[in-house]
Amino acid sequence: MRVVIALAAAALSISALASAPPGQPAPAFTLTDLSGKAVNLADYKGKTVVLEWHNFECPFVQKHYRSGNMQALQKKYANDVVWLAVSSTSKTASDYLEPTRISQQLAEFKAAPARYLMDEPGTVGMAYGAKTTPHMYIIDPSGKVVYNGAIDDKKSTHVEDVKTARNYVVAALDEMKAGKPVSVSSTTPYGCNVHYK
Amino acid sequence: MLRALLLVFLAAGSALAAPVVRTEHVEAELIAEKAAFQAGKPATVGLKLRMEPQWHTYWKNPGDSGLPTKIEWVLPEGWKAGPIQWPYPMPLPVGPLMNYGYEDEVVLLTELTPPANAVAGKVPVKARAETLTLAAAEAPANPRIEAAMERARNNLPVDAPGWKFESSFTKTALVVRITAPQGASAPAKVAFFPDREGLIEPAAPQRISRDGNGVRIEMKLADPPPANVKSVSGVAVTDAAWPATKARAINVAAGAASMTPLAGTTSSGSNAIGGGTLAALLFALLGGVLLNLMPCVFPVLGIKVMGFVEHAHGEPRAMRMQGVMFTLGVLGSFVALAAIMLSLRAAGTQLGWGFQLQSPAVVVLLAALFFVLALNLSGVFEWGAFAQSLTSNLSARGRYADALLSGVLASVVATPCTAPFMGAAVGFTLTQDAASALLVFLVLGFGMALPVLLLSMFPRLLRVLPRPGAWMETFKQVLAFPLYATVAWLAWILGALGGIDAIFALLAGLVLVAMGAWFYGRWAHAGGIWQPAIAVMLGAVGIAIAWPGQMAPQEASHAAPKAGELAWQPWSPEEVRRLTDGGQAVFVDFTAAWCVTCQVNKRIALNNADVVKAFAAHGLTPLKADWTRRDPRITAELASLGRNAIPVYAIYLPGAQAPRLLPEVLTPSIVLDEVSRLPAAKTAITLKE
Repeated sequence: MRVVIALAAAALSISALASAPPGQPAPAFTLTDLSGKAVNLADYKGKTVVLEWHNFECPFVQKHYRSGNMQALQKKYANDVVWLAVSSTSKTASDYLEPTRISQQLAEFKAAPARYLMDEPGTVGMAYGAKTTPHMYIIDPSGKVVYNGAIDDKKSTHVEDVKTARNYVVAALDEMKAGKPVSVSSTTPYGCNVHYK
Repeated sequence: MLRALLLVFLAAGSALAAPVVRTEHVEAELIAEKAAFQAGKPATVGLKLRMEPQWHTYWKNPGDSGLPTKIEWVLPEGWKAGPIQWPYPMPLPVGPLMNYGYEDEVVLLTELTPPANAVAGKVPVKARAETLTLAAAEAPANPRIEAAMERARNNLPVDAPGWKFESSFTKTALVVRITAPQGASAPAKVAFFPDREGLIEPAAPQRISRDGNGVRIEMKLADPPPANVKSVSGVAVTDAAWPATKARAINVAAGAASMTPLAGTTSSGSNAIGGGTLAALLFALLGGVLLNLMPCVFPVLGIKVMGFVEHAHGEPRAMRMQGVMFTLGVLGSFVALAAIMLSLRAAGTQLGWGFQLQSPAVVVLLAALFFVLALNLSGVFEWGAFAQSLTSNLSARGRYADALLSGVLASVVATPCTAPFMGAAVGFTLTQDAASALLVFLVLGFGMALPVLLLSMFPRLLRVLPRPGAWMETFKQVLAFPLYATVAWLAWILGALGGIDAIFALLAGLVLVAMGAWFYGRWAHAGGIWQPAIAVMLGAVGIAIAWPGQMAPQEASHAAPKAGELAWQPWSPEEVRRLTDGGQAVFVDFTAAWCVTCQVNKRIALNNADVVKAFAAHGLTPLKADWTRRDPRITAELASLGRNAIPVYAIYLPGAQAPRLLPEVLTPSIVLDEVSRLPAAKTAITLKE
């Protein structure tokens, strides 16, 4: 009974998550960064954009920062792509961090996203269908989504798995750089739930 | 030689290099029912996880986020660990997202197999479960642990033989169709959990609709959907139990289009899960063989065997033919009976095995038949010229016809004596299409005919019996008494159906039948035509007198129980629900006057002083579901338990999803054992002095 009730309740309460499948135009948005400055996706038309859904409290995110993996990618592609980290965590969630705290942590981890965007109402995350932290999207210069999914193929919180994992974002960015179509354009993301409002 | 290995669980300590938040919210322990393992023999252990409120662990498909629990076994050399057996999951909504997993507590079962050459002694076993730390070791084997393991087993999805699964895709949806076997019907409330992550949007509502006797589940495909979906598998969960299984969750495996769902084409495959059939056939065979020992069949068999003794020195070929004819007679009758039952069921009548005896007319006819057979064995009359062609020892053809008819007779008289093994086999037929059901009945019949068939093939087996002689006449007369007893029992059934007047009518009718038999025996050999005619007329009048008229519906009598007997209350599904909702455990006896096994069980195992005391001590309320007459509610309840024949004994526990079923043949110790597993009663006592 509980199973059925829970499913029915979920059906009623759902404020449906949209999605941003590969091949479709990326949903437009304007968000503020940690310093309160407005950032519009349209500003980056003509450039490749990476969106990284983020929460430092999440063990899966920690895996990619403790290992230095994510920071290394942000720096490696700094000249070619605009790397935007996004937090859609609700203020009501236990793992919500204030912008000042996030700035501190970014500095501690020597993280280097171009901008860190606050999506506290969760509207942008829901428009993209961001489910987990991390959940990665790549938007090509024409504004189309070309990758949607996991950072890599090792679904774990083990730091040592980073070395042996196949990184989907690296593969896609390298293919784009070489002028080739992205061969793996969607995967199932893994990580912690994005705690929406 | 069996060597016992003592299993010792060791705490694994912190399992992760990186600290994980969840660790502090989950408490884990390794549990096992058996302290001692045997070399080479698998045994099941469980990882019991207890989650803090608001926290959960994940199913094999975690849904929108999270990871399934992984267990890494650290075992001595040569030991093997099987995969995790996942109980069915709960949907766990998190905002607009959905996880599949467990709250409160879950036990993940795993089979461990020591090597064949394992040496006796204590063996350290460690498990590392990802995302959590194991708590200290637990002394194996205690009732609390057994209960936890049992709960976990009850929540494992089962294979549902006879059910059909199909899947198809539209551009945005996955449709899974679950079709019930003939005679059953799929539940209305169903939730589907796919094994594969990223196949559907877990949080999107599932649209459930009825589809014939099946159910259709439409789910939103993930966007983008995964490529190359070859098949759809998962678990379908309902809120009570799937008909013909005891489980709330069944495994679903459906073939699907090999192309990507994006192509938007619709195609389907179906894959009925096998398994269960072979077991049912085996039980049917065993049950059939055992039927021969029932008091209503044994005399018929006895006569047949004696016939063989008489002709043991005749031509072996003729004898073999007789065995074959007997077998054909049995098989034909069983198929006919099965066909009648199946076609009546198909027409919508709620019937179960034993349905013949729910009709007073059939009971009367059977009583008359048994009575005539008994009189014959007692020597009141010989079949003589009247039935010369059927029983003659002279012509071979006559003997074959006789063998065929004894096969038919044996089958007809066997039907009241539902052998213990038949319940499961006949219940299985419910879940099957007509062809499989007929196969089960055929095998059942073959089992019953097997001893006679073997004797006819190997007459040497008969040499252990004394040579034909006067002992055979004595033996024949002795065989009459089980038949008289059967008549007495049938009279009692008729009484249960129609009251004391019906019994009187039957007995008065049987007096006339006896007179007819005596008349036939005394004068029919004179050669005239009118003597047998008068005899038959007497018999016909007797049956007419016994013939049941309008039976007044008998008020079920629930007389005050005698001391040392259980205080049975009438059963109804509502009563069971009322009692279990009120926190009481309920014992249901599915019984009928015509069910011999039921009566024996009641006398021996249920109306036993210790059992009565244990019922009271555990607050177990005994309810009696009386199937003597047709009762569609009882038939439906039996079907939901996967049975179609009685006896069935079920214990319903408050909060439990499916009742515990007891074996069909009870002993006081079996009942006491089951009852002692229940928690002690907190309140009322149902024992009456």
